[in-house]
Amino acid sequence: MSRPLRKKLIPMKRSTGDIIFSSLLLLPALIMTIVFIVVPIVDSVIKSFLDFRIKNIISGQPGEWNNFANYIRLFQSQKLMGAIIATFSFVIFVVILQFIFGMILALILNSNVKFARFIRSIMMTPWVVPTIISALIWMWMFQPQYGLIKYFVGLVSGGEITNFAMLNNPKTALLGIGIAALWKQIPLTTLLLLAGLQNVPDDMLEAATIDGAGKTRRFFDIVLPYLKSVIKIVISMAIIANFKQFPLIWTMTGGGPDNSTTTLAVLSYREAFVSNNLGSGAAVTTIWMLLMIVVILIYNKLLGATDID
Amino acid sequence: MKNKIFSSLLKYIVLAVILAFLLFPIYWVLITSFKSNMEAYRYPPSFFPVAPTLDAYIKLFEVNNDFFVYYKNNFIVSGVTALITTILAIFSGYALSRFRFKWNKWAVALLLSSQIFPVVSRMISLYDLLGDINLINTMEGLILALIADMLPFTVLLMVSFFDAVPNAIEEAAFIDGATRGQILFTIVTPLVKPGMLAVGLYAFLATWDDYLHAATLIQTDTLRTLSAGVALRYLGELSYDWSLINTISIIGTVPMVALFFFFQKYMVKGLVAGAVKG
Repeated sequence: MSRPLRKKLIPMKRSTGDIIFSSLLLLPALIMTIVFIVVPIVDSVIKSFLDFRIKNIISGQPGEWNNFANYIRLFQSQKLMGAIIATFSFVIFVVILQFIFGMILALILNSNVKFARFIRSIMMTPWVVPTIISALIWMWMFQPQYGLIKYFVGLVSGGEITNFAMLNNPKTALLGIGIAALWKQIPLTTLLLLAGLQNVPDDMLEAATIDGAGKTRRFFDIVLPYLKSVIKIVISMAIIANFKQFPLIWTMTGGGPDNSTTTLAVLSYREAFVSNNLGSGAAVTTIWMLLMIVVILIYNKLLGATDID
Repeated sequence: MKNKIFSSLLKYIVLAVILAFLLFPIYWVLITSFKSNMEAYRYPPSFFPVAPTLDAYIKLFEVNNDFFVYYKNNFIVSGVTALITTILAIFSGYALSRFRFKWNKWAVALLLSSQIFPVVSRMISLYDLLGDINLINTMEGLILALIADMLPFTVLLMVSFFDAVPNAIEEAAFIDGATRGQILFTIVTPLVKPGMLAVGLYAFLATWDDYLHAATLIQTDTLRTLSAGVALRYLGELSYDWSLINTISIIGTVPMVALFFFFQKYMVKGLVAGAVKG
């Protein structure tokens, strides 16, 4: 979403009036962002070094410095490593498949298929379904007694598998949540990639066809380079959204069974708001933020960063 | 020739499979909401309700009407948030699009980077900070936190809409003696109506989807919004009342689907402008 700011200015003089006017306009949004986002983030990093629990809030006592006890405890238990592995598995699985299926659907919709406009609108429906409700929809699909998926698995396996319960099995639970995440996120990916595809100039494609370039050749040599900036944005949006995913996982499994779906989001929420240990939750989110920054830096490096300005 | 027919056939098959994946679950929940509990739990399942009934909807209205308190609250919270967000996004979007000062770069950097941080980390701290200023467990506090959550994306989106308006019009107005405020509110703002709609709708949809803010910042049941209310009231027990839940799913989704299809043109334009043209 980084974009160059307008180069050409209104030919007003850069007078004091302009400075006052533009800062007055900017101020409300900046204050809101600083007060409700920047300050809380900094504050949560500070709290991660304190012994800070719900009882501190109730009694109004400030937290006490506890010599990295929150971090030490996290690193000593298996929970943190498990959550990091679960988070990365989830992000990698969903982002890759989301991109592949989004690209396939976008290419199909861009290829003179019948009713393309109509399909483009109805396929957006999962995107507007609230996350909690997406979770409920897929819980009903995966339901272990009456669920449709169980029925299909039974049919396909010729009646051999009769106890298929996606979300109750530690081996498949994260996969089940991944499917629900894909369901909700493929539409937006498709929409954005489709918009990018429609910006690829037709005459270039025609010229390449006349020169004898086949479909695959045209895709890799013309379409992909044109799409590069869109792809970069789509993938980084997907990485951030899935890294942050919480309500879907929390509703579908609550982190279980056997902690198999406890991602960093679930772990931090559980530490802070279920165990009421805000300091420990803040330690998890601090580690989580650091990991996210590292991932984004690596990602930008890999794709040849164009950055904020 | 044969090859062409084959590839075209393959294309339609892949299209059908992906569409089935995206749309069938919605159909499935919709028809289940019209089944009796007996039929919903039948195995093998029926793919069309044998005896369609409105029982689940009637029960939702008569017995579980706490749901409609959450529903109403969510309309208030999302509506107010969308309105204020749109106004603030117009202000800052215009400032960032038209005036180029050295701090603009920092403002944009601040907005962009604030989008990547996890909501839970903010909630841990807001839970404490909002308590200090007596805004915890109030709709006002929830709305303020949600506006801040919406601003980064919507401001940047608004910038792209203002960038598309040529500034010759403003130059002329300025020469005619209009003030900066008049130029913004009476001349430029009407030209970015599609942008305002895109931003407002996005904020409405996104806050309708909020769970974490409401679940942590609100404790009184009657102040809860949809996602938090449903999750905390109906999803607590081990066995769920599935016909109730399918009905809630449908009623909770319908306004969003209606909004989206009604204003599709603006939403799609906004989403694409926010991401693709940047």
